[in-house]
Amino acid sequence: MTGLVDARARRAENGPLEAAATSPRLRRGMRSGRLLEEVLGRLLATIAIAIAVLYGGGLLYLVAHGGSRLVAFTSFATPLSDVDGEDIMRFVLAGGIFAALAWAAGIVIREVVARVRGGASRSADRVAHVATGLAALSGALAFRDHLPRFLISLPSETRAGGGIGPEIFNTVYFAFLSTLVTLPVGVGAALYMARFAKQRRFVAALRMALDTLASLPSIVYGLFGFLVFVVEMKLGYSLFAGAIVLAILNLPLMVGITEESLRAVPRELEEASLALGATPVQTALRVTVPYAWPGILSALVLTIGRVFAESAPLIMTAGTTVSRGTAYSLDPFRGGETLAVHLWYVNSAGLAPDRVDVSAGTAAALVVLILLTNVLATRLARFGGAAGTRMRRATR
Amino acid sequence: MRTAVVASDRGSKEAAVRLVLVSCAGLVLLTTVAMLLFLGHAGLNGIREVGLVPLLSGLLWKPEADTYGGLPLIFGTFVSAAGAIVVGAVPAVLAALWTTELAPRSARSVYRRTMEVAAAVPSVVYGWLALVYLVPQMEKVAHHLRGEGATGGEGLASAAVLLGIMIAPTVLLLSLDSLSRVPSALRDASAALGASPWQTATRVILPGGWRGIVVAVFFGFARAAGETMAVQMVIGGARKLPENAFTPTTTISTQIVMDMQNARPGTPGSNVLFAMSLVLLVVSVVVVLGTRWLTRGRRTA
Repeated sequence: MTGLVDARARRAENGPLEAAATSPRLRRGMRSGRLLEEVLGRLLATIAIAIAVLYGGGLLYLVAHGGSRLVAFTSFATPLSDVDGEDIMRFVLAGGIFAALAWAAGIVIREVVARVRGGASRSADRVAHVATGLAALSGALAFRDHLPRFLISLPSETRAGGGIGPEIFNTVYFAFLSTLVTLPVGVGAALYMARFAKQRRFVAALRMALDTLASLPSIVYGLFGFLVFVVEMKLGYSLFAGAIVLAILNLPLMVGITEESLRAVPRELEEASLALGATPVQTALRVTVPYAWPGILSALVLTIGRVFAESAPLIMTAGTTVSRGTAYSLDPFRGGETLAVHLWYVNSAGLAPDRVDVSAGTAAALVVLILLTNVLATRLARFGGAAGTRMRRATR
Repeated sequence: MRTAVVASDRGSKEAAVRLVLVSCAGLVLLTTVAMLLFLGHAGLNGIREVGLVPLLSGLLWKPEADTYGGLPLIFGTFVSAAGAIVVGAVPAVLAALWTTELAPRSARSVYRRTMEVAAAVPSVVYGWLALVYLVPQMEKVAHHLRGEGATGGEGLASAAVLLGIMIAPTVLLLSLDSLSRVPSALRDASAALGASPWQTATRVILPGGWRGIVVAVFFGFARAAGETMAVQMVIGGARKLPENAFTPTTTISTQIVMDMQNARPGTPGSNVLFAMSLVLLVVSVVVVLGTRWLTRGRRTA
């Protein structure tokens, strides 16, 4: 603010010079207008930067604070408990962590090599892929018993030292299950709307339905899933019910982005395909969809991010508990909580004395997952269009 | 649907694929209709059992005594969402204006990426952060304002601030989209006429993009009104009208998720919850219709 006052003082000093050129009245108007603009502009900038700092700093804090609980490797081995499937879970988790680390390192190395040698080579890319895979595999083999205890142990309601192993598994499993519905139905509906729709009424109704779905609060989805799957179909709290509800919840997003990327496919490509004698369906399946595939995948990754984040509908359809016997079971008709649900449950109903630490760790794991999906979605979206590998393959 | 099938005369595979595509689209429509029907049916049962007027205007929500007065719930929902608009949406719109028009070009993409991540952060995480850091601060504010005897920081004030922080990134991103969709030819023309960046922003860009901004705020309101778990963590859960912004109260979605676990399906206790969810449904239908009305003649994202 002092800068502003200085500026005004300077301008007041320069006043006589300007006065010679313009009438006093105009000059005063210009000056006060400029000062007001400056103040308002700075005010806006302050608000905007404060918002950015608040969110950026908050995210960093979340990851760093909870990350201390996640990253610390235990130097001694954690004994395998008697829970079914824990060994596989450990292996996969260690593989995932090391694949992510190796991937990040690979990007850095490739950048450096490209700078040094000028231009990336395809063989170097292939070597990097193989190296990433090998690093993930060897890391998983070497460190599967040395993972942070927090990541692999069962949650505890009353005692300290609970982990989030089953929650991580359930979160990823939910993403897989709901994708099984979201991907085919979403792409099918979008393809119909973008290329095959004949009746305007039907499409208008469809759009209205999608808009309504998109704006419904997630608790309403929860109520619907509870009524249909838990009560009417007598399934009880189950992953199946939760996954279907999440799939419905994600349909508007999936259909919206997919339709947009299908419509962005250059018309010439499709016309060329039709001119070569391909039927409309062949054209759609072999030209349009492959060309739009990166966009479709990035939509899918966004929906997966929402699966990770959603809590209210899951509480009502999949429950808030993890049972020891089925912690890592692939049976979709058992109940189970995700990371987001766990974060809520620990704080509102949990009695564990270390729930602040558990929450910090859970929140950090959740935010890291969300960050990964976001980065992935942006990268996939960038691969779109004629430069994408899918397109090269489709037009070869 | 028939025409789509009949139109393809190049073999049965073609017809089959078309049929699959149509049925995907039909499934989307069917699901939506089924959802509305199920909820409407249970909700209307609830309204019939309690009566519309007592349900909307009763002052006490007490399922144990079969007393269902929904006014505290509705009040809590709307007041906290309106507070969120003040706390979150207004700064977000201003920040969006700065980002598109006045910010250095290099700052824009960084700003956008940060906000995209912030918008994707789960609402429970926001709720937990508010529970740990915001509620104690609000308690201090309450003590400061109303003396040491005041109750804790859980209440409408905390909920409004939390919801504001939660919806700000979404509102900001939607406003950014709408503002950056204003043709840059208008910007150039305005600059060529000698307008300063600020004049361009307020007299050209804002009038051009205000519909999108209103839509963004609408969506922010709908999201704030429908938010469940995060609000549940900071609102306190007292099932009556609050005396002031710092006393515990409740919202529709909070009450639904808390009571549903105790209510037996098919009983009035369960049906009234569906009836209350119809209020949320009405809010989102109003938002959809308002959006359509504002953006008629244009394609929305």
